[in-house]
Amino acid sequence: MADIRFPQLSKDDPDADGVVSTWFVNDGETVADGQLVAEVAVDKVDQEVLAPAAGTITVAVAEGAAARQGTVIATID
Amino acid sequence: MTATLSTPATATSRRLTTSKAMVEAISQEMIADPSVIVLGEDVGAYGGIFSSTTGLLDTFGPTRVLDTPISETAFIGLATGAAVEGMRPIVELMFVDFMGVCLDQIYNHMAKIGYESGGNVKVPVVLTTAVGGGYSDGAQHSQCLWGTFAHLPGMKVVVPSNPYDAKGLMTAAIRDDGPVIYMFHKGVMGLPWMAKNRRSMGEVPQESYEVEIGKASIARRGTDVTVVALSLSVHHSLDVAETLEADGVSVEVVDLRSVVPLDRATIRESVAKTGRLVVVDEDYLSFGLSGEVIASVVEADPTVLKAAPIRVAVPDVPIPYARELEYAVLPTPARITAAVRDVLRRA
Repeated sequence: MADIRFPQLSKDDPDADGVVSTWFVNDGETVADGQLVAEVAVDKVDQEVLAPAAGTITVAVAEGAAARQGTVIATID
Repeated sequence: MTATLSTPATATSRRLTTSKAMVEAISQEMIADPSVIVLGEDVGAYGGIFSSTTGLLDTFGPTRVLDTPISETAFIGLATGAAVEGMRPIVELMFVDFMGVCLDQIYNHMAKIGYESGGNVKVPVVLTTAVGGGYSDGAQHSQCLWGTFAHLPGMKVVVPSNPYDAKGLMTAAIRDDGPVIYMFHKGVMGLPWMAKNRRSMGEVPQESYEVEIGKASIARRGTDVTVVALSLSVHHSLDVAETLEADGVSVEVVDLRSVVPLDRATIRESVAKTGRLVVVDEDYLSFGLSGEVIASVVEADPTVLKAAPIRVAVPDVPIPYARELEYAVLPTPARITAAVRDVLRRA
């Protein structure tokens, strides 16, 4: 099992909330290692999130929802 | 930031936004052909203000991805000259509204050099440009203007509405030996900071492919009425078609995808089947695309029409800034719905 965490985008404010802007995959889908799965943003800075492993993805934070940097936004089993 | 994302076939799906699909096509062509370069305002470090070039500078470096000064005349002229000399430039005009400051380079040079040389000089340039409104950007940043480019001979004009077509049309445009104007609506790009649009994300094959320039697609099959649309208006028309299906109305939606060449055959074939036509166009009403689509039908055979066609376009006024006023002139789903119901009532 692998966790997908919200990347650390703001050095100045490491505890700032960001937003999961887009999920490119649906909950329960099979993803490949390195596949684009999400895009996240903190203070208008966007970053792509790639799957760290292959497997079935379970989404933990809904699209459009806020999440603190570093928190788990999905898991891959 | 990766410009080309690798996804083995084992994944359930491979979805991209329209902007990422565009970038993937550019990236793959840049890998395949060293003569492909990208230039324009903020196409490098910024990645295009509507994410049309994100990551390309990191992947290909500043000799192939060039941030230019704010002189559209200079850098579009540069692109045209580079194309004449054998490069395949992709040059971005940040907003189509800015065409006025560089139109001589576009319609007197880019569009005419091939003709004036008797076809001996090729101008394989792609001019990308952001179009469309709906987000309160005012009269000088919200126009579509595809009818203006289409009116001037010598350029192909493509207007993708979804990620699959965005990638395939970009690949075809880059490989085309003549100038292609590639117009992307900000509302179909799938940008996280714009209004969410589920139709701006979709399945995109990783391998390179072309969507033929000049070929419309039937975005939805129906039997009662044909709605001819392009770009963001295709999304609205599909939404309307889904809603009206519950009332027993079967709407066929034609996505033009290209304005030049215009796929008149597909338009005629659809209208011959349904007998009723609504044209949805986010460009200005008069002297433009919507009239041209209707002429395509009427010139060939007016007897296929069971009722007078209806146009849903922007009336001949500048696009307002105030949200309520802007949405009063845009071809909204409400206006499209009313037009479809109206054309069905007409004898």
